[in-house]
This record gives sequence, structure tokens and C-alpha cells, in this order.
Amino acid sequence: MTDTATIARWFHALSDEARVQIVEMLSHKERCVCELEEVLGIAQSRLSFHLKVLKDAGLISDRKEGRWMFYGLERDTLDQIAAYTKSVKPGKHAGSCAMACCD
Amino acid sequence: MMGLMRRSILLRIAYPWPRLRPGLPIFPHPPDLQLARVAQWFHALSDCTRLDILALLSQRDRSAGELKVLLAVPASRVSFHLKVLRESGLIREHRDAASRFSIARGDTLDLMIHFTQTLMPGAHVGRCPLDGCRD
Repeated sequence: MTDTATIARWFHALSDEARVQIVEMLSHKERCVCELEEVLGIAQSRLSFHLKVLKDAGLISDRKEGRWMFYGLERDTLDQIAAYTKSVKPGKHAGSCAMACCD
Repeated sequence: MMGLMRRSILLRIAYPWPRLRPGLPIFPHPPDLQLARVAQWFHALSDCTRLDILALLSQRDRSAGELKVLLAVPASRVSFHLKVLRESGLIREHRDAASRFSIARGDTLDLMIHFTQTLMPGAHVGRCPLDGCRD
């Protein structure tokens, strides 16, 4: 079971519209910074900041090819996020919580 | 027009999960889902106390007093965190004459589960304005 701080960090990384949009665009395939910059219409410095937040949270990874950096999604983390969101659905939770009240 | 029709058919058959055909996941977003709303859900979940609250509410409905005792957090913090979760639509409050309970909202959680499925590499269909991302 992933610790709460890590889960909070994933969701913090997704708590900004621009970052959600970046992750959506990457969910089709790997993209280079130039493509993301063009679609989002934000300054490259701002984009680098958003990409860093996503990378630090483990949601994306980068790969250098020639002059360009390409960004892609980290499947493991996204699988864990999807599993987490399923686990908080009412009625799905029983037994996964360490609290004494939770029986 | 054709594109629109195809999308509406896809939406109809993609609900409910599971997938349409084996090996070919299709996860269109609900058409009215706003990025701002998505970001607001995730903002609500970007704090450890709020994650704990949601975990407790997913077990059963609880009052603010109960959450305060279970989490050992001051009442004012509990009510602040409940407000953030309520505003994001992840929980709602039920009031009757004697008490007030917070309840996890299954409808929003379903949307969020569905949305997180669309973020998988290669799983995304539509909405993205990039070339090659429409088919």
C-alpha cells in the first residue's frame, strides 16, 4: 500500500488545469516540448515548471532525442492512481484501512 | 456530423466499464467534463488529512465530531477540509434534525475513476488538439 504522502503528491501534481491537460495530451503518445508549448500557449519557463512537478511526482518521464526532450507517461504510477481511486469508492474500502474503527 | 455521431455511440457503449472489445480500451471523457473541475477534484485530494477523511467516509458516513476524534485533528481543521472536499463534489453533507453527516459521493467518484482510466498511455481518445490525436 502506497503511503498517504505519496498519494497526496500525485494528486497535487494533477491539481492544476495545465498539468491535467499535459497528462491528457501525453496519454495519446509521447510528445516533445515543442508540441506541448504550441497547444498550451504558455511560456516555456512555465511549461518546464509544470513538467518538473509532474516528473517529481513520478507521473511522467523524459527522454532526450537530438535537440528535443520527449515526455511520456509513467504507466506504473497511473495504474496505482487508478487503483487508488477505485479503492475509495464507498463499499470498496473494507479491510484496507489500518484504523481501529474500520471493521 | 459523422464524427459527432460516432462519439455519442462510443459514449453509450463505453458506459459502464468494462471495455468495449478485448484489447481495445476506449475511454472517452464525458463530453461536459471541464478541466477545471478535474483539477478541483485532484486539488481536494492533494492533502494527507483530506485523503484520510475520504478513506474513512468511503467506509461509512460519519459526523464531523467522529472524524475529529479518529484523526486527532482540531474541529476547525476538520470543517475546513470537509468544506474543500464538499466544494470539489467528492462528498456531500446530509442534515437532519438531530445530526449532520458527511457522505462520499459515488457519482463523482465514478467520474474520477473513469477519468483516471483515460490517462493511461495509449488509452486516450479525443479532446486533445494535437495532430494525430483524433483517431
